[in-house]
Amino acid sequence: MEAIVLDYLDQLSDTFTEPRKRVFWGYLLLALGIGTIWLRWKLGQGWRRVIATTLSPGIWWSASARADYLLVLINKLLMILIAPALLTQTVLATWLFGFFFSQFGMPPSAGSLLPDWGVAAAFTLTLFLLDDFARYLVHRVMHEVPALWAFHKVHHSARSLTPLTVMRTHPVEGVLFTLRSALVQGVTIGSFLYLFGSQVDLVTVLGVNIAVFAFNVAGSNLRHSHVQLWYPKAVEHLLISPAQHQIHHSTTPRHFDKNFGAVLAIWDWLGGSLHLSEPGADIRFGIRERVEEGEHSLKRLYLTPFGESFGILKGSIAQLLPDRSL
Amino acid sequence: MKLKKIVSALAIASLSSIAVSAQAHEHGPVYADFPVTVKDYKGDAKHSVSYGGQMARHALHNSLKKLAGKGNGEANPELKAQMMAYFEGKEAGRAIIDPKTKGEFAVAQTEVDQLSKKKNLAGKAYKGAVTSWPGNMTAAEVLAFMIDKASAADKGYDPLNGLDYAQLISKFAMGAVFYNQAVDNYLDEKLEANIKPNGMAYKPGKPYTGKEHVWDEAFGYFGTPAHTMELSAKQVYAIAKQKGDAFDIADANNDGKVSLYTEMTYAHAYYAAGADKGGKTDYLHTITKAFIDGRQLLADAKGENLTDAQRAELKGYADVIKTNWEKVIAEAVFKYAGSTYKDLQKINTILEANGDLGDNFRKYSKHWGELKGFAMALQMGGKDLGETGVKLNRLVGYSPVLLGNTQVSGIDANGNYVQSASIDMEEYMLHMLKVQQLMVDQYGVKARSNDVLAGMGDLVEKLGAKAATSAEND
Repeated sequence: MEAIVLDYLDQLSDTFTEPRKRVFWGYLLLALGIGTIWLRWKLGQGWRRVIATTLSPGIWWSASARADYLLVLINKLLMILIAPALLTQTVLATWLFGFFFSQFGMPPSAGSLLPDWGVAAAFTLTLFLLDDFARYLVHRVMHEVPALWAFHKVHHSARSLTPLTVMRTHPVEGVLFTLRSALVQGVTIGSFLYLFGSQVDLVTVLGVNIAVFAFNVAGSNLRHSHVQLWYPKAVEHLLISPAQHQIHHSTTPRHFDKNFGAVLAIWDWLGGSLHLSEPGADIRFGIRERVEEGEHSLKRLYLTPFGESFGILKGSIAQLLPDRSL
Repeated sequence: MKLKKIVSALAIASLSSIAVSAQAHEHGPVYADFPVTVKDYKGDAKHSVSYGGQMARHALHNSLKKLAGKGNGEANPELKAQMMAYFEGKEAGRAIIDPKTKGEFAVAQTEVDQLSKKKNLAGKAYKGAVTSWPGNMTAAEVLAFMIDKASAADKGYDPLNGLDYAQLISKFAMGAVFYNQAVDNYLDEKLEANIKPNGMAYKPGKPYTGKEHVWDEAFGYFGTPAHTMELSAKQVYAIAKQKGDAFDIADANNDGKVSLYTEMTYAHAYYAAGADKGGKTDYLHTITKAFIDGRQLLADAKGENLTDAQRAELKGYADVIKTNWEKVIAEAVFKYAGSTYKDLQKINTILEANGDLGDNFRKYSKHWGELKGFAMALQMGGKDLGETGVKLNRLVGYSPVLLGNTQVSGIDANGNYVQSASIDMEEYMLHMLKVQQLMVDQYGVKARSNDVLAGMGDLVEKLGAKAATSAEND
């Protein structure tokens, strides 16, 4: 019990003090800086408006944001309890290494295929591409499968976006995301260890995967904010801009099911779900325009998705069964 | 940041006991000079610590290992008799063949009797059947069988079967005698209330109680210097290697000689130190500290029978010792499965290129011998390892996989090895990988020398092991 409490406090503080985390204080400050520069000097807004867009209590202490904070606190604990039961990347990588060995024989001798720097670069790039694609795919599935959308709706029910909205997630999604990471990392590590042995390394900055670092330093946190920062059209075909992700959260029907990507926009481009930013458009966030009573209650956020999802599953199973009226 | 501080404060408060033991590494207690507590003791002994018999057996084991590599490839009854004298003889006058004075590293004793008289290894070897070796023999019979083979082999090595007897004999004997005696006898049934009670002398006239001596004997078998808590794992390791600069470290009482009784490193203490010097584990000090704490508890009992609570506490220390000792052996299994894997990789690469094997097959046999010896030792703790034992024995086999893809499968009526077709060397590499995995899964080994999947832990760590379990959306 004591161990769980300590682990909980530790992980909670890690969330803000650990550069591997999206909401590391340094990244938050950088995002604030980038957002301010964008609003003040690119869009020429007055200081009062700049502060209203970035730091207003109307955003940070809204009912929606307060629900985010509560979810962060509760989910952390739930995930600590659930995580030990989940498949880990280590188990998967070990299994895969053994599988390759039994299928293709002894691994190539170390250093025979690529120089060390080449292996590290290839590993880091592969991991980034695979991870980003998996994020896109799982995200898309969460939207398109009704029984899963019931859970993902929790994230989309946010009316105001703050960087912490990234953790406004139903635990069932948390489990899926954890498995997704384990799968991507397990496959990449297992394959690279088989091919390159001890040469495998990760290219890091300040101990963080260079791709993750670059993404976060570039203001990744602005995607969950009210700062509408867009990229040139050509770039928005390659990278998802904060404004594009805000479109993903929009209540306007033509924006539904667009921009599933995390870092790269190419997956959406290839998959036909890319939607470029609309500079200056008034975008409201949420699932639908109409605000409902109790949108941010814990019951709605944690329990309702199970009921909905169960109802949908029951409906689809009933359709598969022979007509009972006969 | 504030949260970090709270967390650290909580951690320090709750784990203060661990902090204390960590400090002990610097100026820790010594396993010596515990007072005489026997009630009616009349003699003039000043302290009650005694484990000379165990140290004599360490000297016998070290010497036997040296002899195992002395053969010239012909049947050699003289050598065999000499080896048997160290294994099962009890005669006076046996010289200590190892450890001997080496350069600046001067040792105090030159004869086994100076440590203890009439001691042997055979009488203390595990009495049950050894399932990890063909022939349905007891541990003493397996060792005698190996001694017979070693005496007739060239420098203790049988190239036809890939067997390195110095390694096999040494590593298995450490398990069958030292480990078994300590964890299956002294730290097991001899801790029961009605056996060797603390309320009376071990034997009439002795300056130590029953339980005090039982505890000392277990400590002796571990094989670590009495002043281990004052030393680092690296230093304890260097003492066994008898390096010149290790002399001052070893000679705790500054009498100009290293006492083979109290100042030398042997057997599993050496392997514990070897695992720990990588910095990931602390088996040596954990085990030694538990021995010292247990011994202090006995001294504090002042010659009275132990209460149930005291005995429970003592058994707690014994459990720490047993668990960690087992891990030390599992780490060695892991390590040598890794070296065997690497040797096989080298051999396969050379064979594919039609190259010359050189001494690579010899190295492979040596590492396999260490692997097998430790794997056999792991099964000597007096408990049935069940499925783990079966898996381990099947994965490793009775010999390394030989060049014609054969393996020793048994022993015939004349004591000759029988070979059968087996898997190829590549598949055997996979067995080594599985052995390592088995040690991770069953014993949670942490030092992991020669990890075939080297770097996997570091990679997962770099990617942020915990990061993956956060419920971060997109």
